[in-house]
Amino acid sequence: MEKKLTLGRRFLLSRATSVLVVLVLILLLFSLFSPEHRFVDPDNLKVLLSLGAEFSIIALGVGMLMICGEFDLSIGSILVFCSFVFLKLFELEVNPFIIAVVTVFVGGALGLVNGLITVRGQIPSFVTTLGTMMFWRGLTLLLSGGEQTACDVSALGTKAASRFLALFTGRAGGFLPAQFLWFTLFAILLGILLHYHRFGNWVYATGDNRDAARAMGINTDWVKTACFIIVGVLCGVVACAQIGRLACFTSRTGEGWELKAVAASVVGGTSLRGGIGSMMGIFLGAIVISVIENGLVVLRIPYFWTYVFFGLVVLFSVLSSMYIEKKQMEAHR
Amino acid sequence: MERLIQFLRRRAASTFLVFVGLVLIFAFLSPRYVFVHSRNIAALGKLFPDLGIVTLGIGMLMICGEFDLSVASVLPFCAYIFARTLYAGLAPSWGLFFALLVGAALGWFNGFLTVKTRMPSFITTLGTLMFWRGVLYIWSKLMPLGIRQYIPSGSLFEKVLTGTVFGFFPVQSLWFTLFAILLGILLHYHRFGNWVYATGDNRDAARAMGINTDWVKTACFIIVGVLCGFSACMQSVRIGSFAATQGINFELRAIAACVVGGTSLRGEIGSMSGVVLGALTIPILDNGLVLLRVPVMGISAFIGLATILFVLLNTYVERRFR
Amino acid sequence: MERENNDFLVRMVNIHKWFGRVYALRGVDFEVRRGETVGLIGDNGAGKSTLIKILSGYHHADQGEIYFEGQRVSIRSPRDARGLGIETVYQEQALAPNLSISRNIFMGREPLRRLGLIDKKVMDEESMQALANLGLKLRSPDVPVVTLSGGERQGVAIARALHFKAKLVILDEPTVALSVKEVEEVLEFIRQLQREKVSVIFITHNLYHAFDIAERFVVMARGKKMADVKKEDTSPQGLSDLVLKSAFVAE
Ligand SMILES: Nc1ncnc2c1ncn2[C@@H]1O[C@H](COP(=O)(O)OP(=O)(O)OP(=O)(O)O)[C@@H](O)[C@H]1O
Ligand SMILES: [Mg+2]
Repeated sequence: MEKKLTLGRRFLLSRATSVLVVLVLILLLFSLFSPEHRFVDPDNLKVLLSLGAEFSIIALGVGMLMICGEFDLSIGSILVFCSFVFLKLFELEVNPFIIAVVTVFVGGALGLVNGLITVRGQIPSFVTTLGTMMFWRGLTLLLSGGEQTACDVSALGTKAASRFLALFTGRAGGFLPAQFLWFTLFAILLGILLHYHRFGNWVYATGDNRDAARAMGINTDWVKTACFIIVGVLCGVVACAQIGRLACFTSRTGEGWELKAVAASVVGGTSLRGGIGSMMGIFLGAIVISVIENGLVVLRIPYFWTYVFFGLVVLFSVLSSMYIEKKQMEAHR
Repeated sequence: MERLIQFLRRRAASTFLVFVGLVLIFAFLSPRYVFVHSRNIAALGKLFPDLGIVTLGIGMLMICGEFDLSVASVLPFCAYIFARTLYAGLAPSWGLFFALLVGAALGWFNGFLTVKTRMPSFITTLGTLMFWRGVLYIWSKLMPLGIRQYIPSGSLFEKVLTGTVFGFFPVQSLWFTLFAILLGILLHYHRFGNWVYATGDNRDAARAMGINTDWVKTACFIIVGVLCGFSACMQSVRIGSFAATQGINFELRAIAACVVGGTSLRGEIGSMSGVVLGALTIPILDNGLVLLRVPVMGISAFIGLATILFVLLNTYVERRFR
Repeated sequence: MERENNDFLVRMVNIHKWFGRVYALRGVDFEVRRGETVGLIGDNGAGKSTLIKILSGYHHADQGEIYFEGQRVSIRSPRDARGLGIETVYQEQALAPNLSISRNIFMGREPLRRLGLIDKKVMDEESMQALANLGLKLRSPDVPVVTLSGGERQGVAIARALHFKAKLVILDEPTVALSVKEVEEVLEFIRQLQREKVSVIFITHNLYHAFDIAERFVVMARGKKMADVKKEDTSPQGLSDLVLKSAFVAE
């Protein structure tokens, strides 16, 4: 009965550790086998860190939402709608910082809509966000005509414009892309919120046993809605960063991200039933997915291989989490 | 009045009313009433069963409490098997046979993974969705394969899968009806159907009653796989080739159709008639809006809106009248 | 403000409750005195859980009044109930299985430092103290609740009630699905509550457990209160007859 968990065993059994091991293996694999080790080429790393970070920022929010027991399939559509809002305001030559604030605000509002429909209508968020996913992308396509439109912030030529670009697409120390710093920043903030703040406790309780949480006086509807809003806000931030980088609006941005984000969370050890997961795991899971995507490109493996890899990684993490959970139960007994 | 309330209490009743409403609206508003023109109805009858047949299986699977996202890659995978069999010089009926077989096998694999790992099928089939899609893309190199030369028009095989009866009624719709009736009988009048509901209701209770819920789930996954195989062949014959993009987005559309038809995402609640209604409503919405000259790419906005409104309506009616 | 006889901790008067078309409570009167343990018994679906869920703010009565310590109160949410000092240990487990013991005990009432951050040290120490007060020795406040035995889990839930100075603890079938030894543990926890002069409502289907621990018994059937007897006026066999007869009469 009194079998204490040694620090080492606890470390090995922690979910985040196993993701970390997988990540290191994948990194080694790509570094060693990419032609002329192009994977570790600074240029490629810059691409990886900026491009991958965009998806990963949103995945952080999706992971947190999954811990409180809900899904968001509409992230790609919120992203594209936010980008469209950005574009329209840009065409009015508004100060880019004001555009950014409005865009983020719109993202949060769309998240609020998801949350309200889900908790007020008592509809599974899977259906709500399936609906809003089709709705916002369809609406954006209708309004934009589905065309790619230039949206080059630097063309404004103002001081605010260059500051804006520095903030969202600049490089710290001439190397680290701003997007990656944003990603890290959000991971730390959300990590503190989830693990050290009272709100995080409510998120776990809501996802783990909603009835118990309610009985203990936690407003679970409010907690869920707040998590939806966080996801929406992150989509708004990414919309700004992405337009800054691409200097154009495309109506296809974010397609397929919804399932990828779920995959990233699951790889990071988040349970689909809610109540289990950690920010560290989600952080690493998002990186794993981004690295695989980038690495396969560098290895010149045709793009469609990524699907095989994603599929295998998801299935593998399902199996390994089963194993870890079993071991943990045994270790605690 | 009593009768009306009795009717409204049925879960898919409101969907039925809205469905009739939609048909009327489109019939009257479409320019020159094209919506009810026999040519439009015939075209609709050819197209909708591709997704519709798959939807029937998904509905049953959802009633027993599981999802299958992998249909979007199982379907083109079966279509590829079908085309490959033809290229190997075998008769089309062998192609159909192998497509069904592979469909069943992939379905079984989904079921096996789900019940063995005790993971939500949402995630296991997300894994197989990506995996089989990748395998298919690598294997087929994304190249379409024309199959017209193997299935001459007017051949029996073509007629059975994609012909017309009475000169205008598309066979595809007959297949859809046939599968709907078969699955309806299975679900509502056969012992197996009871097991499906019991499994979706509460695993422990079902298990306590001696029902092998793992087996029931696996069987439902296999049914979905087989239906994918069938739909794949039907679609390939209609478009005359294999295309890697077949079945894309089917996973979420099928779920949307089931939900519109009153199937619960938590299992246990739903009926075959509801699923059929859902499978009809989505394509009619699609088609009607096109005829009203809504740009094709924006139509998903309406389907999304419709999905949410239907669910809200169904939930509201249920609470109000029960 | 209507004043009431001060003997009662809680008094529910003429409570009605519908769930859609299901008439779950049909005018129930129910009261608990200070420091008293009441056994609430009755057939499946009698309305026992519904009645106490109204008291704990989980459901709202469609009609009826509740008095707490003599004051007319309206309990609109679980938060209100906890504010009054009513704690509930639900039939469906009032714990989040994957959260740690201490996080469960302080769920919704986390001790805070600045900016809403949780004070984990206080939380852990007080959790262990609360468990020890109940005579429950657990290794660490950090282990998830799933890894505990059924009896220990109920202990955690009861320790939570005790720690927050509950005046009334409601236990809805806390012994269901427990082994004989674990049941004895839970009954011992309840005796600890009695020693601390906490009022207890104890719902169970096991009349022997009820008889063992309660001082008064309220029998329900089909949404109505059918009988209200003191311990000295009955026996386990008598209770069993009452439950059966009530179910029959209510038909
Ligand atoms: N949330 C709900 N929605 C609809 N009906 C409900 C709900 N909760 C309870 N009921 C119904 O109210 C009636 C009383 O149920 P309740 O749970 O109070 O019984 P109980 O006495 O606790 O039974 P048991 O001993 O089985 O726990 C039952 O007919 C039940 O079906
Ligand atoms: Mg009960």
